[in-house]
Amino acid sequence: MINELLLQFGQWMEAQQYSQMLVSGYFSYSWLEATHVLTLMVSIGSLFIIDFRMLGWVMPNVPASTIAARLHKPMIIGFVIMFITGALLVYAKPVETIQSLWFRMKMILLLLAFINAWVFNGRLKAAEGNWDNDPVAPRPLKTGAIISLVLWCGVVTLGRYIPYDWVDCTNTTNTTILWAAGCVDQLNAL
Amino acid sequence: MLGSILSQYARTLSVAAAFLLIVLVEALGIREAIYPGLEAFFNWMNQSSWLGVIGTTYGSVYATVEAVHLLSMAVLGGTVLATDLRLLGVVFKDVPSETIVTGTHKCFKWALLMAILTGIFCAAGVANKVYFMEVFWIKMLVLLVGSCFMLFIKQPFLTSRPHAEIAPWMMRLLAITSMLTWFTVAATGRWIGFS
Repeated sequence: MINELLLQFGQWMEAQQYSQMLVSGYFSYSWLEATHVLTLMVSIGSLFIIDFRMLGWVMPNVPASTIAARLHKPMIIGFVIMFITGALLVYAKPVETIQSLWFRMKMILLLLAFINAWVFNGRLKAAEGNWDNDPVAPRPLKTGAIISLVLWCGVVTLGRYIPYDWVDCTNTTNTTILWAAGCVDQLNAL
Repeated sequence: MLGSILSQYARTLSVAAAFLLIVLVEALGIREAIYPGLEAFFNWMNQSSWLGVIGTTYGSVYATVEAVHLLSMAVLGGTVLATDLRLLGVVFKDVPSETIVTGTHKCFKWALLMAILTGIFCAAGVANKVYFMEVFWIKMLVLLVGSCFMLFIKQPFLTSRPHAEIAPWMMRLLAITSMLTWFTVAATGRWIGFS
């Protein structure tokens, strides 16, 4: 049911004039993709510096809350650009992307990364002042930083897998994979 | 006398000599003479070296190493941005710039090393293609210049004296040069994928 709805939504997007314009213009798609990837250096770069500080790997002599607070703005700017360009990339190739197993897994990891960031922020505020000058953050924050690093590494890796077609609707007959990737037509044909 | 003056500016002179060497290589047509000979090496990298064989045989390994390359570039970008935005007075205004410069450098070096190692693997997988790409050679040149700039000019200069003694325009120049250099490295790298 959900796969059918997502496919219909993808097909509706694909029929839009702007979607076709984005994908047919070689430079428009390339620019979008390049901006999406290059903004990694701002968003994930800043996020990793914050996480590394929690683990005591960078600037252990600078209060952790200062690092987190000062890098928050560039990080958010980076993420906003990434989400806009990411959404436009999906809009340019909606059916192909929606039926990508890697894209779906990436979205799940992205959701988990945001839940972790929300929990992490709460813990950071709750622990404020007690440990700020310690080289390594307390265990709950350290765990949050490690989870964040693992999840974002996963997001980037799965994002990199999307253009590859190892597990494409057209080259697998495994029903679990077909269902997970949302390959409606191939499932109906079996 | 001359020796002491030269030793004081050893790094600057080395970089100037390297720059002069690049100019000479170009002006005397050495690059054009060497270039055809490199094709065999690039073909060997792609078809016979174990890096190239793994890269071309196992797509998933290649894509995973590509992801590590991207992550290394992200960390590198994060350290460059944190340092250079501080030198420009945009972020971390309440933290001494000396602390940021020294605190991020180790991480930068690790990220650069990882980016280069994974980059070699990625290049080996498509070596027979990148050899003919102008953008690949531009990237290599900017990477070389950027690494020399960071390791032999910017960092030694910024750690050699208190930042209060450095003219603000010099700090801004270093920061802008650094950001532009690494942005070019990343952008040309992305462009290789489109070519």
